[in-house]
Parts: sequence; structure tokens; C-alpha cells
Amino acid sequence: MRVSSMRYLVGQGFKSIWKNRMMSFASFCIILVSLLMVGLSVLMSLNLSKIISGIEDKSEAIVQIKDGITEEQREKLTKDIITLPNVNELTFYSKEEAWKSMVEDMTQEEQDLFKYADDNPLPDTFKMTVIDITKMSETTAQISALDNVESVKSPTSFTDMLISIQRVITIISIAIILALVLVCLIIISNTTRASVFARRKEINIMKYVGATNTFIKIPFFIEGMIVGILAAGCALFLTKFAYEGVYKIFSTDFSLWAVLGMQNLYSFDSLFKAVLISYAIAGALIGAIGTSISTGKHLKV
Amino acid sequence: MVEFKDVSVTYSSGVDALNKVNLKINDGDFAFIVGSSGAGKSTLIKLILKEIDATSGVVTVNGFNLSKLRRGKVPKLRRTIGVVFQDFRLIPTMTVYENIAFVLRVIDAPAKYIRSRVPYVISLVGLTDKSKAYPTELSGGEQQRVALARALVNDPKLIIADEPTGNIDPALSYEIVELLKGINECGTTILMVTHEHDIVRHFGGRIINLNKGVISFDEVVGGKAK
Repeated sequence: MRVSSMRYLVGQGFKSIWKNRMMSFASFCIILVSLLMVGLSVLMSLNLSKIISGIEDKSEAIVQIKDGITEEQREKLTKDIITLPNVNELTFYSKEEAWKSMVEDMTQEEQDLFKYADDNPLPDTFKMTVIDITKMSETTAQISALDNVESVKSPTSFTDMLISIQRVITIISIAIILALVLVCLIIISNTTRASVFARRKEINIMKYVGATNTFIKIPFFIEGMIVGILAAGCALFLTKFAYEGVYKIFSTDFSLWAVLGMQNLYSFDSLFKAVLISYAIAGALIGAIGTSISTGKHLKV
Repeated sequence: MVEFKDVSVTYSSGVDALNKVNLKINDGDFAFIVGSSGAGKSTLIKLILKEIDATSGVVTVNGFNLSKLRRGKVPKLRRTIGVVFQDFRLIPTMTVYENIAFVLRVIDAPAKYIRSRVPYVISLVGLTDKSKAYPTELSGGEQQRVALARALVNDPKLIIADEPTGNIDPALSYEIVELLKGINECGTTILMVTHEHDIVRHFGGRIINLNKGVISFDEVVGGKAK
């Protein structure tokens, strides 16, 4: 293909966008909305996993050991727990240590009150972190079933909530992505059909004089791709705007969110490149695939 | 060269459009194809352009065996053929010059060649002063001359003119056929489909008459013009 021909074809693509501007605008809008919805839900889910993993790192389960067991029994228990697949780290925390740190946290009055207690009421414990927090309840159940375990306490309800939110978001995003891709393809292939129709005379003559199929299809392909890329550019801008708005809310109101590890949110700048590249590729691909579906179907070249 | 060997075409509707047609048109020939509507003239042209395939028999055009020609190679065949239609089929949004240059562009010709070739063919059909006009600003005869220039521009071996005088004044019709004759004298094979017997009688030459899918007459007849 010659440079002059390529220039001609690209020019035809641009012209065709303008000629069918209503339909091009429709494709533009639908790609824009799709990219925005998909992009924002992916970003949301990304941040949620980050928060969850932050909590994962911090969250410990506490295993209370029955009182009065022997050294061997305790060693066996340690081995049993550490060999469970989801257990990451296990540290023994003796009742004396627990007592000491508890006393340190007390007010003077309380310390005075407990000074005369000769018996330490606290049990020996293990502090345990897990590899995958989503399997926390499973792991706790396994540990509870072991001998010499008094009880297992884990911060499950909050993480369970976060995990179920994340799961719902993931499912919704996948559903949105599928639905939107389908809608995009339908709308774009309709746009192309309109521009194929507008140019049917040219196409007819092109066929008679021996233009190759590729040559006939390229302008439509370019038309779709340009619309896709323009939509991607716009989506990038809007995403930045929306994301930074949300980011600001979370990063200023410390009282509520800092507790939850919200200072861990990704800044938009750190994601910019990834968002840019994925939007551009997705936009161009949707545009190009949409047009090639309908050129294949309607041109019959 | 165009050659038909025992070519039959049966459409899916069951209509027999051509029935065992044998025909040979040599390089440099000028032939009229006549016949009433439904005789198979359009089918014949569609076969040559490989818009349709023969149900049986072999069609050879400019060295291509069309029954063996793959879809992807059809553009190669069509680049050796120029077509003129009854309804001109010019692109209304393009000037005369652009309509003709368009053909060279879509076959990926060098820009420099386009710039020299297009004015030349426009001068051949005598429209140099109209090269910046749009088709709607031209008379029917002029539009058909533009179409003729467009068919000529990539220097085809064969030009098919499908009722080229059907949509223009009788007086101008002769002009078009004379142009075709002139092109033929330069070595291009011309196949002209028509049902205007006056024109055929006037110019004479090889006349192929199709009747219900069979060639009923194929002879060279002397015309008044010579």
C-alpha cells in the first residue's frame, strides 16, 4: 500500500465520520459510557482489593488454648495449625505476656485493683495471620476442631462485608462489561451500515474497477477506530475528574475513613498510564471490531 | 479475449438464463450483443465480471479461467476490464476529475501517475474544460463520456458497455458509440450490449443475438457508416 493511498483512505474515514455525524455521535456516546462504567467499576474493585489486602495484613485471628496443657501438647497444636494451608504466620503469646500487656493498658486505679490478684485469669494464645482472608471462616472452623483449642476469635464480620461487596462489584462489572460490549458492537455496526449505505455508489464502482476488499474496508475500519479513540480520550478525562473527586472525599475525611485504611487508595496519577492504555486499546478495538462485523456482513465484497 | 465453452447458467429460482453458450471474442474485436430483455445479456456480462459463476461450462476472460479464479483474485480480473453502465454511476459528490482519479486511487496507483493520466483520458473524451464540474452540471451525453473516461483510465484490455446509450438523446448516442469505436481502434476489445437496432444497423460489425439463453445469430454485418 502506498503512502498516498493510505492518506487517501484515512481521509475517507474522517470524511465519513462527518457525513454520518449523527450515527458517529451515537457510537461515540455509547463507547464513552461503556468505557466510563467499565473503567470506574474496575477502579473501584481495584481499590477495594487494596483496602482488603491492607486489612488482611493487619487482621489477626486469636486462638485461645485450653488451660493446663503440657508442653508437648502445645507443640503438637502449633504444628497442626501451621500445617493448615491458609495459615501464614503463627506467634505464641503466653498468658504472662498477655497479662503484662493488659496491665500496661490499664488505668492506675484498675492496676491497683488487680495488684492483689494472685491468679492470672488469661489463657495462653496464638496470634495468627492468614494468607487469604476470604477463607478466614473456613480456617477458623478447622482450628476450632483441633484438640486443646478453647476458642478462635477473628474479625470476620467486617471483612466478610468487604469481601461480599467486592464480589458483588466484580459480578456487576462483568455483567456490565458483557452487556455494554454487545450494545457497542450493535450500535457501531449500525453506524457502519449507515455509512456503507451512504457510500454504496462508490463501493459499487470500487468493486467494478477491481479494488481489493481490504481497500474498500479500510475507511470504515478507520472511521470506527477514530470514533473509539475519541471516546476513549473523553472517557479518560471524565474518569480522572470523577476519580479525583471521590479520592478527595476519602482522603480529607480522616475521622471515618482513615480507620478503614482509606489512605491506601491509589492516586489517579499512579493509574493514569494503565487507564490511558486500556481505554485507548478498548476504544479502538470496539470501534474496529464493530465496523468489521458490519462491513463483512453488508459489503459482500 | 473472452471465451465461453458450453456455458449454462441456471438461477436458484430455476430459470435457465444461458443454455450451452459457445462464444469467442478475440482481442481487438468490437461486438454488439443484442436481444430482447430476459434473453440472457445481463447474465453474460455478470459472468464476465464474475459477479456470478457459471452452473456448468468454462468462461475465460483475459487469460483468467473464471471457474478456477478464487474470490480474492477477482479484483485482479476486474482491473483488466472497464465497465460503462446505462445509468452512468458517477459519484455525485465528486468532480469529473475526481470521479476518474478515484478509479486509479482504489487500485493503488502512484499519485504522480494519477496526475498525468487523468487529464489525458479527460481530453480523449473531449471534456477538458469540464473537468472541475460536478456530474449534475453535465448533460446525459457528457456524463456518459465521463463514465467512458473512467472505464478507460486504467487501460483495460476489455471494455464492457451495458446499454451505454439507453439514457441519453439519440443524437448523442452516436457520439458515444463513435468514441467506443475510436477506443477499439487503439486495440481495446469492446463488448456493447444494446437493444437499439438503429445504432447496430448504422455502425455494423459483429452482432451477437441472444434469444432465450441461446445464441441465435453471430455474424459480421456491414453498416452504413463505413
